[in-house]
Amino acid sequence: MMKETHIAEVIESNTTEMIAQCTVLHCSPPFGSFVKVNLAEGTEPAIYGLVFNVVTSSIEPNRRAMAYGKTEEELRKEQPQIFELLKTEFQAHLVGYRDQTGIKQILPSQPPRIHSFVYACSLAEVREFTRQCDYLRTLFTISQVPPDELIIATIRNTLDAHGEDSPHYLVQVGKELSRLLRDDYDRLSSILRRISP
Amino acid sequence: MGHRPDELGIITRGSLLEGVEMKLSPGRSVEDITAGKFVVIEGEKHEFFSMITDVRLDVTNAQILSNPPSRENTLLRQVLSGTSTYTTVMLRPMLMLRRGENAPNDRVPEPVKTIPTHFATVYEADEEDVRCIFGGESQDRKYFNVGTPLDMETPVCLNLDRFVERSNGIFGKTGTGKTFLTRLVLSGLIKNEKAVNFIFDMHSEYGWGAIKETGGSKQDFVKGLKQIFGSRVAIFTLDPDSSRRRKVLADHEVLIGYDQIAVEDVIPLQDELSLHPTAMEAAYSVWAKYKNDWMEALLNWGDEDIKSLADSLGVHYESLAALYRKLRRLRNFKFLVPKTSEDLIKKIMEYMDKGTHIVLEFGRESSMLCYLLVANILTRRIHELYVNRTEEYLATQNPADKPKHLVITIEEAHKFLNPRASKQTIFGTIARELRKYYVSLLVVDQRPSGIDDEILSQIGTKIIALLNDERDIQAVLTGVSNPAGLRSVLASLDSKQQALILGHAVPMPVVIRSRDYDEQFYKEMGLLLEKEREEKIAADIEALFG
Repeated sequence: MMKETHIAEVIESNTTEMIAQCTVLHCSPPFGSFVKVNLAEGTEPAIYGLVFNVVTSSIEPNRRAMAYGKTEEELRKEQPQIFELLKTEFQAHLVGYRDQTGIKQILPSQPPRIHSFVYACSLAEVREFTRQCDYLRTLFTISQVPPDELIIATIRNTLDAHGEDSPHYLVQVGKELSRLLRDDYDRLSSILRRISP
Repeated sequence: MGHRPDELGIITRGSLLEGVEMKLSPGRSVEDITAGKFVVIEGEKHEFFSMITDVRLDVTNAQILSNPPSRENTLLRQVLSGTSTYTTVMLRPMLMLRRGENAPNDRVPEPVKTIPTHFATVYEADEEDVRCIFGGESQDRKYFNVGTPLDMETPVCLNLDRFVERSNGIFGKTGTGKTFLTRLVLSGLIKNEKAVNFIFDMHSEYGWGAIKETGGSKQDFVKGLKQIFGSRVAIFTLDPDSSRRRKVLADHEVLIGYDQIAVEDVIPLQDELSLHPTAMEAAYSVWAKYKNDWMEALLNWGDEDIKSLADSLGVHYESLAALYRKLRRLRNFKFLVPKTSEDLIKKIMEYMDKGTHIVLEFGRESSMLCYLLVANILTRRIHELYVNRTEEYLATQNPADKPKHLVITIEEAHKFLNPRASKQTIFGTIARELRKYYVSLLVVDQRPSGIDDEILSQIGTKIIALLNDERDIQAVLTGVSNPAGLRSVLASLDSKQQALILGHAVPMPVVIRSRDYDEQFYKEMGLLLEKEREEKIAADIEALFG
């Protein structure tokens, strides 16, 4: 199997979330996409997270980037060092893990270890993970971002993974959402309107 | 059980009184669910055989109704369907059957005394279920195939033993196939020899061929009972000329003597003749003096001197004159003669004792007056004889004396059985007395609301084709428990070949597509084709003479 290249490294984690720093500035996985991280050292990556917040900031906690009034191209020519002083981080909500028996949409018993590598999930993995829709419920508990926006982004991101089956998948997700929203018809129709490709 | 593939939905709520509600499976279209369809609810310990009585669209959130998804928004429509918008189907459990290892091998359906558990699964009934409930012709001679449930092929059978036990009714608007249903049932009774029939054939449709209503311009002829059953059916006719013109081989011409008409036979004609009650009293007075010859005396005296007759009897002149004027019309009937050489009733009984079924054709004498008069005269006499015979049988208790069960078929029954007439005519008595005297009625009518409630509630089995009038529907469902569900079923019947059967002869109400009355049917009734008949005759001759 081809060795996958990691896209980030875990720098902080707890039971429900992790923060990872991207290897390349501005190259975070998209908002609402699935990432995975090792469960333990030397094993296949098996904890699944959903990206819900991306932050680019100075590496110094008490310093801020300043406005220079120049385009990025000009800046890279004249002051290349300032880009070395920036970093891109993202927060991912832990939505499940895989063990010998298959995928579980429940929190792992241990959070991801610091400095573990983070990988993007392939379409096949996304398809397998999203066969069940139970993870959607936990997305409503995230308070940093509007949950509707996160759900719309997530479902749009997963549509490709379902290929030809995506209309059927959309209906299945829609029915789950309808239950989760407790028949809040306006909210449901707004979400569905924005999900539709 | 595992043999049921087509899940329709699950039971969500209900009660024994009002029936149970099923939530339709999301994958199912509500438009496949038709009222009257036969389904099975698989409970924990029983299978419940039920009928679909009503279908309803439901939503969990009223907001959806005020802002329904647009036609383009198919995704939203699909998402809502089955979750927020769903279909509720009302079911009426009719029978239950034990299931599981405790179930006996010969499972007999029992009346429903409980309801299935929450979330019991509902399936479409299969052929096996229908056979289990309605029996099969091959099981017993008492079963007679009358048709199939909607969308199914397994025959629904009438239990003829139970059928003849009570008076029965066939109802339906004109043109919905009453006559066909009646002919079908009569064929069953004749073929399985469950009873001897006496049919008042007002429109001459039962005995010999009749026109089949095919709906289009093409018209076919169908065979009558005489053509199918040959010598087992005898045709009596009131109008031999008409029979001859239609090339019907009538077995007997009916002549009725004046002396056979009793005052009781005239009373039911009150409406038709617009007779005043005092005229009836006058009739009794004439009878008191002249007994059986009262009619002849009245008609003869009336021609000459009605006043002196009134004086001699001491009745009011005007009443007697009115009675005479009205009854004078009876002279126009060719079959009424002052004296007859033979006793018609004796002849009829002779035929019936041999087990021959009688169709009485009215030919052109099809006025209501004639029909009422003849039906009353004959039925009253026959009933009298049956009462005598039954009493004899009760005395001797000899099985050989047991009278053959008689079923009298009358059309336009509301004329005999309306609340006023039913108290006076013999038909009211028969309908009420039930089988005590081995005589029951097969009532054919298009206006059941005209029939006395008391009689309707005594009718054992009802075969009902389409009825539209609210009062008629209410009338036929008299004496039925929980009529609300059946009402919607009745109103949604097709106008051809569909009927609801309920009552004594079927374990549960069922909507059927009636059996085809065609070559295949004739054959199953034992009619041989021309060629086969010749072969049989040859074989018989061979067997007889060696």
